[in-house]
Amino acid sequence: MTIQEIMERTHMKDTALCVAWVKDAIHLIESQYDETIGTWKTDIIDASGGTDNKYPFPANMIKLKSISVLDTNDNKYKRIKRLVNKPTVVEDTDPNE
Amino acid sequence: MSSTYYYRIVGKNIELWEYVASGQYDIIGDYRIRLPVDRSSENLIYPNNAIDNGLMFEGTAYIEPFVNADPNELSGGAQPTLSAPTGAPGGASGTVDNTDEEEWHINMSRMLSLAIVDYCKAMMSDLAAKLDMKEYYMREFWKKVGDERSNKRIASVIFPHSPYAVK
Repeated sequence: MTIQEIMERTHMKDTALCVAWVKDAIHLIESQYDETIGTWKTDIIDASGGTDNKYPFPANMIKLKSISVLDTNDNKYKRIKRLVNKPTVVEDTDPNE
Repeated sequence: MSSTYYYRIVGKNIELWEYVASGQYDIIGDYRIRLPVDRSSENLIYPNNAIDNGLMFEGTAYIEPFVNADPNELSGGAQPTLSAPTGAPGGASGTVDNTDEEEWHINMSRMLSLAIVDYCKAMMSDLAAKLDMKEYYMREFWKKVGDERSNKRIASVIFPHSPYAVK
């Protein structure tokens, strides 16, 4: 169905507003149901401190289904579990001890 | 290796943690001996291995919501070749006028497209302060979305016969 058909069915005259509402509707559908599934990959870095263990969610992702890490032994992605609570973090001030 | 990783959601980011179990031992002669005092510990540490493309997110996304052809019709008996039009999300950048936008096809099934029509009607009712109409069209919207989902589910029902049932 084209944008024009939607405008005719709803008696709308503003194309930009119609496109904006269609985008909103698609967003609602994708929030509730798994209609269009995507995957995004990013490098894991050897963290040294600070925010090195933080990775942003993909910009165009709407609803998260799973997070996986590449198992380098068999080259397959395997799902990892979510921590519910914040872990206790103690700074290692002298790693040689 | 993946079993040693965990994540935690923090706002727009995730924190990645690696699980390590460590213990202390002494070397006596050629043998490594675990000390009698239990010094083993389990910790979560920052990831200490670099892995190319090591982290994968899976989720629903805004991928080519508009395409150049009708996704619900076969093209010459084959699946249609779809691509995002110029100016549409995921398509090439370029000047787009209203006439171009009106030709965009919604990259969804016909039932979901009809649901989107109901959504637009609901928003128009909202603008006109007709809230009862808005509620009605939003109900229709979710009803059609639900219908679309159930269309893809195949449910089989089995009725067991009792041993003395007359068939």
